[in-house]
Amino acid sequence: MKSAWRYGLAALALLVALAPIYWLVTISLKKEIDQFAYPPSWWSFTPTFEHYGDAFRVRSFGRFLLNSSLVAAGSTLLALGTPAAYALARFRWPGAWGSKIGFWILSTRMLPPIVTIVPLFLMMREARLLNSLTGLGLVYTAFNLPFVIWMMRGFFEEIPPELEEAAMLDGESRAGALFHVVLPLAQPGLAATAIFCSIVAWNEFLFALILTQTEAATTLPVGIASRVTQYEIQWGAMSAAGVVAMVPVLVFAAVVQKYLVRGLSLGAVKG
Amino acid sequence: MRIGLQDAILPYVALCFLTGCGGSPPSLVVAVNAGVEGDALKAAAREFGSAQSLDVEIVDLPYANLFEKELLDLTSRTGAYDVIMIDDPWFPRLAQNDALAPFASQAPDPDFLQSCLDVCRLNGTYYALPYVGNSQLFFYRQDLFGKYGLPAPATWSGVLAAAKKIGAGEKMYGYVMRGAPGNPVVADFLPLFWAFGAEMFSAGGAPAMDSQQGIDALRFMLELGKHSPPGYAGFNADEVSAHLLQSTAAMSINWPAWIAAMDDPAKSKVAGKIEFAPMPSEKRKGVAGLGTWLLAVPAASKHRDRAFQFLYWATSADPMKRAALHGNPPTRRSVFLDPGLRAKFRALPAQLQSLESARPRPRTPRWNEIENAFGIYLSQANAGTLAPDEAMRRAAKDIAGIAAR
Amino acid sequence: MKKLPAGVPWIAPAVGLLLALSIYPLIYSIKVSFTSEAGGFTAAHYARLFQDRLFAVACWQTAEYLTVALVVEFGLGLSLALLVDSLGRGRGVFRAGLLAPMLLPPVVAAVIWRLIYNPQFGVLNGTLRAAGIPAQRLTWTSGESSAMFSVLLVDIWEWTPFLFLLLSAGLQAIPQEPYEAAKIDGASQWQVFRDITLPLLKPTIVLALLLRAMDLARIFDQIFILTQGGPGFATETVSLYIYRTAFRFFNFGYAAAMSFVALALTTIFARALLRGMRAGSAR
Repeated sequence: MKSAWRYGLAALALLVALAPIYWLVTISLKKEIDQFAYPPSWWSFTPTFEHYGDAFRVRSFGRFLLNSSLVAAGSTLLALGTPAAYALARFRWPGAWGSKIGFWILSTRMLPPIVTIVPLFLMMREARLLNSLTGLGLVYTAFNLPFVIWMMRGFFEEIPPELEEAAMLDGESRAGALFHVVLPLAQPGLAATAIFCSIVAWNEFLFALILTQTEAATTLPVGIASRVTQYEIQWGAMSAAGVVAMVPVLVFAAVVQKYLVRGLSLGAVKG
Repeated sequence: MRIGLQDAILPYVALCFLTGCGGSPPSLVVAVNAGVEGDALKAAAREFGSAQSLDVEIVDLPYANLFEKELLDLTSRTGAYDVIMIDDPWFPRLAQNDALAPFASQAPDPDFLQSCLDVCRLNGTYYALPYVGNSQLFFYRQDLFGKYGLPAPATWSGVLAAAKKIGAGEKMYGYVMRGAPGNPVVADFLPLFWAFGAEMFSAGGAPAMDSQQGIDALRFMLELGKHSPPGYAGFNADEVSAHLLQSTAAMSINWPAWIAAMDDPAKSKVAGKIEFAPMPSEKRKGVAGLGTWLLAVPAASKHRDRAFQFLYWATSADPMKRAALHGNPPTRRSVFLDPGLRAKFRALPAQLQSLESARPRPRTPRWNEIENAFGIYLSQANAGTLAPDEAMRRAAKDIAGIAAR
Repeated sequence: MKKLPAGVPWIAPAVGLLLALSIYPLIYSIKVSFTSEAGGFTAAHYARLFQDRLFAVACWQTAEYLTVALVVEFGLGLSLALLVDSLGRGRGVFRAGLLAPMLLPPVVAAVIWRLIYNPQFGVLNGTLRAAGIPAQRLTWTSGESSAMFSVLLVDIWEWTPFLFLLLSAGLQAIPQEPYEAAKIDGASQWQVFRDITLPLLKPTIVLALLLRAMDLARIFDQIFILTQGGPGFATETVSLYIYRTAFRFFNFGYAAAMSFVALALTTIFARALLRGMRAGSAR
């Protein structure tokens, strides 16, 4: 296929991918009367920031944003997944336990959330972690664990074991070798994994819907969904919040996009 | 980018810190419907908060979510909410198992309308007070009725005839209604259903919607549907009101919450042209569905006294009158008869008449499930997927199953 | 006592958290599924399941949704991966831009499309009308016959990038030598694709399909926002039906029973797919 055609097709795909997102941004910037105007205008309107002010100052979206940020940051508890990934990559396991455990861990990701949600609600209530960011953070960390282990194992397996063995010969413990030798080399992988985990926590909806009750813990997705009411859809506030919810994700992903591809392809090839 | 183990732990530590000392919990949490009906309570809550120097948090949720969250909070006794807004059909379910705190004074002010008070009782004890006096009204374009020499719509047959005439003569739809499954379609169907002499349950408690009257009512609804905008089987209140406001439909059942918008030139092309009437009759006198919003205090609330204080204050005459000035339908007779309000809101007498004689939906703890099942079949009938008699039969069968459990 | 494998203390915290927050709730759920509303033991929930026509419809619709979405997303994703891979300069820009839809919170994506689909004020019908196409009958998510199609469209828009990403990664992992050899042999583009690209891509393909299928089977967020399962029952899926049974009708026992049956069905499907994966990667 000629080069111009290929670029044209790719550009068309790009347009289809981005046009709806652009539309959301324009809705968030249009006055109410422009939002419903016919024929719809894609760029000729006077922008206003009133919806952003409304959403974040008058309504509680500022708080939701803070909650989402805290939970996203706190859900990247790589400290749990990284040692496990290392153990699976390096240590010898009796029988086929190594891959069995690995598979079991991965299979927990396949659990539909709806199966565990009611017991989790009750457990959180007993532990007084209901409607709290800590509780939500714990749930998301457990959520992300399989992915962390899977990704980091792939990255660790890429690093030749000789380096740690050399360090251990010099007197380092195993943990020390992990810390001082392996992790610095695996930093891109760590960064990509951490960011991916944050994105998962940032975007999550069902658990946040059930486990939060008031402003203290409500996250952005739940806040946005609650603008879709029975009688009217509060388009202005919803789109402003939606734009703010999507910008950090897009920025982070752009930064880490290269490593995502590498990490996923490593995981794919190693299986 | 150097990210080590320490950097992974740091955000988590920060998180714990911040959640730990992140502001004190609010003194009062009010759960409110995120729609027009909730606006008055939100304003009242803010006013109460500033007058009493209290930190009041308002949790506003869409209709279905509000029910779920309140149900979850009440049954698990988490005490997350101090004052909750209840749509009257939810009351039998939510008041079960002493989940709501009973009122200290069991002799409520007789100024409240009796029809509104009746839905606040369970086994004779009052657990709630009515706040938003919602009962359906029939909205119709008086100007067009006059133009075509049509009498005010007194019967459903008259409504259908008018819909045909107006639809043919003007470039618009004669009628519009809510067909979205669940609460919307059931609420809009019941007045028609009742007017045809049908009942949801027989005296013995068995489902009776597959009676001949019920099937006739559904057939009539489909007839009306032929003069309604396409896709009405998925409409909710915002679509219905939009059609009225944009003058693309001439008649509809609707809630008083929308009256203000109809007469607002900024939103409406038909300001002043819509008349609000009681429900049309047919085989039986027309009666509106009751949809009053109640206020109650969960038994597990940590701030019961303050919650009741707010509740009594918000439902007292003066605050309710102020809420009415912003369009909230009141529940006190004195507020309905207030001359200042009557001058400002021309539909108030019609609202009072409708509310006094309004009929609540069947009072059963399983109403939510029953409404859901009924709504699915009604919506399918309106979308043309099921024949009316088959839809009613299936509905009766499913609802019998639900009631039996 | 036999010495524990050296890796155990490393793995213990992770396994512990998973046991606490994933496995224990699962076991608790099993118990709930055998509990009647009064509190005693009963298998009635499972019995009811086999007579519940609505559950069968929900399962069927979920399967329908899964199949169509998977096929289309895979086809489009593969085409895009091949297309972008073949571009010279600016590949990174296209790749980054095309990933955008899948990075959005699914709630935001659903909200965007709810805006777009609104029959009166949405930009889709608005643009069609402005172009002269009569859009009155196009009700998208409000119409019973078009709702499933509309919801699928959203899923395809949102998740084709995911397939695109995985397949791009897989394409990049393929070494250059076979291609160079084929060039020397004078193979046509189609032959190259069929005999080199596809076989080498197979493990990635299976993995991508598996991952996406798992997520599709428990689809919830978008449908919750777009249609809540309606109109009628037109877009009801298993997750939604379970959610409603649990949280609107407060029937946890029945919801738990349903979720286990759903889990069983998806596990069977996953094993079949995995068997295909093991057969494919004989290296």
